[in-house]
Amino acid sequence: MDTVSRRKFLKLTSGAAIVGATSNLLSLDQIAEAAINRALAPDTPILVVVTLYGGNDGLNTVIPFKDPIYFSSRPEISYKAETMLPLDADLALNPSMTGIKMLWDLGKVAIIRGVGYPKPDLSHFSSMAKWQTASPDRHINSGWLGRWLDSQSEDPMLAISLGSVLPPMLAGTKLSGSALPLGGLVIPRGALATQCIQLSKSARADSKLMAAAATSMRNLFNLSTSITPILKSPAPVAPDLPTVNGGNAGGDSNLTQQLDVVAKLIAAGSPTKVWSVSLGGFDTHANEANAQAELLGVVSQSLARFMNQLKSTTRLNDVTVMVYSEFGRRVKGNASQGTDHGTAGPMFVIGEKIKGGFYGDQPSLSKLVNGDLAVTTDFRDVYATVLESILKSPAEQTLGKWAGRTNFLTSA
Amino acid sequence: MNIKRLETSRLFHRFGFGPRPGEYVQALKDGVEATRTKFLTVPAIDAGASGIKEPDITDLGKRPEPNTPQIVEFAIAMRYQSEQMGLWWLDRMALSDHGLTERMVWFWHGHWATSIQKLNYALPMFNQNKVLRANSLGNFYTMTKAMLNDGALQFWLDGQDSTFKAPNENLGRELMELFVLGVNRYSEDDVKAIARALTGYQVVRSSGLVSINQKRRDTNPVTLLGTTAVFTGDSIADFLVARNDCAVFIAERLWYRFISSSEVMPDGFAAKTAFADRTINNAVIAMASDSAMSNPQYELVKSPVEWFISACRALELTPSKLATPGQLMSYLDKLNQIPFAPPNVGGWPAGEAWLSSATAQYRISFAAWLIKQSNLNALLSIPIESRVRDSADWLALPEWSARTQSSLRASLDDPAQFALLALCSPEYIVSA
Repeated sequence: MDTVSRRKFLKLTSGAAIVGATSNLLSLDQIAEAAINRALAPDTPILVVVTLYGGNDGLNTVIPFKDPIYFSSRPEISYKAETMLPLDADLALNPSMTGIKMLWDLGKVAIIRGVGYPKPDLSHFSSMAKWQTASPDRHINSGWLGRWLDSQSEDPMLAISLGSVLPPMLAGTKLSGSALPLGGLVIPRGALATQCIQLSKSARADSKLMAAAATSMRNLFNLSTSITPILKSPAPVAPDLPTVNGGNAGGDSNLTQQLDVVAKLIAAGSPTKVWSVSLGGFDTHANEANAQAELLGVVSQSLARFMNQLKSTTRLNDVTVMVYSEFGRRVKGNASQGTDHGTAGPMFVIGEKIKGGFYGDQPSLSKLVNGDLAVTTDFRDVYATVLESILKSPAEQTLGKWAGRTNFLTSA
Repeated sequence: MNIKRLETSRLFHRFGFGPRPGEYVQALKDGVEATRTKFLTVPAIDAGASGIKEPDITDLGKRPEPNTPQIVEFAIAMRYQSEQMGLWWLDRMALSDHGLTERMVWFWHGHWATSIQKLNYALPMFNQNKVLRANSLGNFYTMTKAMLNDGALQFWLDGQDSTFKAPNENLGRELMELFVLGVNRYSEDDVKAIARALTGYQVVRSSGLVSINQKRRDTNPVTLLGTTAVFTGDSIADFLVARNDCAVFIAERLWYRFISSSEVMPDGFAAKTAFADRTINNAVIAMASDSAMSNPQYELVKSPVEWFISACRALELTPSKLATPGQLMSYLDKLNQIPFAPPNVGGWPAGEAWLSSATAQYRISFAAWLIKQSNLNALLSIPIESRVRDSADWLALPEWSARTQSSLRASLDDPAQFALLALCSPEYIVSA
């Protein structure tokens, strides 16, 4: 039994709770009780989805450093081979990605190459919608993990997104994930709380959106009992990330803090199977090299730190992290030391149960499609594997009939 | 649901920023037609907005080097100007006698979504607001040309870095996808062509001054949407706006923000044909008179700014006088909507995106903070025995659900709590 003792729970969470003590605190004892009462069963797999908004330049993430076309296509924004972090004889990681390189060396990182979908769409919004709905052929209003939620019993804690806006990925047709802000939470108490709970009951006459408004308030009271202390920490200040360069295509700016909260909540036994975090700023049309390196550095360091934090818990073996972006970028650089929107890019899947190595074919730089990389792996292959092997759910109810799989898990 | 109450409520909450106390009851007496006409007629004098002093936004010049004494002064001035500019606009929304004007500027700001986060100067954003203001109900050809010459938009989408040698696709793509035609109404070859034709712009970042550097321009003919020509910014605007897809797209965007963000625009939506001559006012008038306005199926969620401003009007508060402006901006930030800082070039989200448990929590504390600063005169003037029912008139809502009535009734002895529950109710957050 995964017994998080009250003492351990307090130890894990109080650091965050004390800082925000100016607002009303629920009793920590009471909260510890709630988390212990319905902790996630031991050995339940947990998925952490990391969305990189803006279109991460895959070619400067996993770099074909032996290919002269890489250097000649983007002379101003290619890296010197000696600074890169080689993964094998042909491919290397961006120099800033030391944390992921360390995990790669331990065999815990699967890199799926050339991921995309048929008929690539180079619009941020359309392409992100295709990835998040997992429906590249026609537009639908539900996200792929939202449809998975539809198949589960209702629990606002089952899928949680950090940040205050829910990503479409977690919106189902019947049920949706919850969004959690970072810091500054003040849950109503006393008579007001009683009336807010009354106000958030579902009403027969409610329209669809009014029902959703009522649910969002109701979930606030459901959620608050077990995670208040972590949310009490002050809203983190966004670190100085280079949003100036690539910041007009969405996403949050505080990935490290988001992952810190997720690590604490996983350790505390939060009954959550899916977490969603994000980082924006990857729309590097201009002055890409520094901006992207800084962002990838944040992704890499915060994921290494996250996996490290899990080591001191009983959940390390249960957690799988999946990293993706809506598209890669053009092979040829533009005049602004940046790149325009492109197509295929690499995905990362990280965890103790991952069979480290490369999956999917590396798109060839000599066989471009309209100046863009060819897609060699459909993202639905990855999703199907995640659904079946991590969330233990049939892929078909979420993705429809889909044959492809990417077998990056050890058959333990 | 009473259709007259519904349609009148929609005029207040969608074509303005909610009623001041008493206005909804008066409008119900006047009838839907008279109310519609009033909303759609720009008055010669807007007494409410005319008292608001325009902020003094100046060119702060080149940013000083980091770690110099000058940078501190610069940063203080920059922050002060941004704050003053934000408060100025929020005051206009809250105090204007004619909600539609500010509502349209707000719509266009979300359409040509440009953020001060990248500009890092107030002046170009202030200038852009004036362009949107001057054209908000005007001619879309004129607006598009003016926006292509707008320094804030050009800088935001890297126009100043797009040269003959290597065109940058950012501006050209978004011009077609998000501003004029709509996604997939062009090919990737068109994106490459328009990027070449839009090369050569240069922008002074601190002021937004735009010029064209002929040496950096690609003046070769390109083939754009089947037409081969040497294009300029102006001729691209004319060419794209003239296309049928432009009328469809602008009608779709109006539909999305004024009628329904979840239901698809029907073919017969009146704004589409009314936009034939590209006069925005005609499309808006047609939209306000379309049968969709009385169809209960088409609901919208108030965005955080829309919710905040309508609360200010109901509580008779002036945004710039709230204590303190910093606290106000912090609440808007937590709800993820600060004027002049949309999250991305696609503008703010809509619908259920505003309905997370996180926003529910921030809305409650935001409302409590506002209510503390109001004398609640409008609410207290309603006799207590009819306060539950008649508070729907105060806020211009078609009706309260039984659920909400029950929590309001339980709060009759606590007017502050009554007001908070009313402002945070599903009926108020959503425009039915």
